[in-house]
Amino acid sequence: MCDKELLVGYLYDEIDYAERRALESHLAACTGCRDELAALRGTRRHLAAWAPPESQLDFQIVSGAAKPARTWRSYRSPVWAFAAAAVLVLAAAAAIANVEVRYGTDGLMVRTGWARPAPSAPSQVADSAAPAITPAEWSATVAALDRRLQELETSQSSPGAMTQIAASGPRVSDAEVLRRVRELLSESETRQNRELALRIRQLATEFDAQRRVDLATIQQGLQGATAAEAATHRQLWDLTQGLYRVSQQSK
Amino acid sequence: MATTDEELVARSRGGDLDSFNQLVLRWERPIYALAYRVIGREEEARDVAQETFLRAFRALGGFKGQAKFSSWLYRITLNLCRDWMRRERRTPVAQAPEGIDIIDLAGAGEAVESIEDVVSRRQVGRAVERAMALLPEEQRTAIIMKEYHGLTFQEIADLLDCPLSTVKTRLYQGLSVLRKQLEHDGVEGRF
Repeated sequence: MCDKELLVGYLYDEIDYAERRALESHLAACTGCRDELAALRGTRRHLAAWAPPESQLDFQIVSGAAKPARTWRSYRSPVWAFAAAAVLVLAAAAAIANVEVRYGTDGLMVRTGWARPAPSAPSQVADSAAPAITPAEWSATVAALDRRLQELETSQSSPGAMTQIAASGPRVSDAEVLRRVRELLSESETRQNRELALRIRQLATEFDAQRRVDLATIQQGLQGATAAEAATHRQLWDLTQGLYRVSQQSK
Repeated sequence: MATTDEELVARSRGGDLDSFNQLVLRWERPIYALAYRVIGREEEARDVAQETFLRAFRALGGFKGQAKFSSWLYRITLNLCRDWMRRERRTPVAQAPEGIDIIDLAGAGEAVESIEDVVSRRQVGRAVERAMALLPEEQRTAIIMKEYHGLTFQEIADLLDCPLSTVKTRLYQGLSVLRKQLEHDGVEGRF
């Protein structure tokens, strides 16, 4: 006979009564099939040793997930956005403070202040290959950065104050400067509060994910114990069957 | 008594997001395990598992319960795995063995299992993983669905759209190849 499909059915205990009887009769007479069955059972036992690596899975469909939800990869902070924001703030502050940067034969020079007009004559620049960055250029840079940031940031911020400052030209009074600095500080504080809230939310999410992983691990452990118990039962059953066959044969 | 998949699916179709997330929580590990065993890469398996649930969520309206929810998920997962393998034009990769962490092993060991047994089991597991990666996709899938997900022959046949006898043949051939490969690796006879 040596019907391999039947042998597989017997191996996985998916076989009807008549087929089982027929196969068992065959096994009693066929050493080859008996050995093969034993070998396949051994292979099955080895298969149980292969487990996927533990991986943190905290998938969750969130409301409004018609588009793909944010993946576990994208939950990390958008570093580029923070970097762009930092550059923007620095640039805006530089524009307000009327920063002037020069690099010449006498070295690097940084000068700030509104009291005197920024020198603009090219002749005053020692190295014409590296011209000074004028307030107008700062303003242009700030405006460009601001536009880029608005494109990049998903959250709606209100960069109006900063944009206004960046675009407003260098000639303003000290009181105006103070007012704008206060606005900047206020905006910075708001941003920090928002970041803090974001961090707290992330922590809560991570905590919840860990809790669910722990629960799943416990459940897996319980399932593993149940499977081991079932395997023991199966082995006992096989052993009993074997003993029964041997006793029948000896009779 | 735990809520059945069918009940949760019905609620999810009615717009109950929490119910769908319960299904996700219930099935994310088996789906990840299936994807990992088919494609052999942890990170990609996670991506496939995640994509499986997204697709299931989007297509929930079209799921009429003609098959079990789990079978439906398995089908989506296997399709995604197939896409991945086609895209990457590669066979599954048995991941390189990582360093054995004795503390991890101690934690992983069951009360009746010694550290030596755990190490041995992991070595056998890696040998199985390597041997499985050598099998043709259809044999590997049949073995995975039978051994690790407990599907019946008929369920596997339905899932893979092939006759029942083909499933049995694939299982027999796959197990025979595995057995020879494990013998070659010096694994047969252990345990």
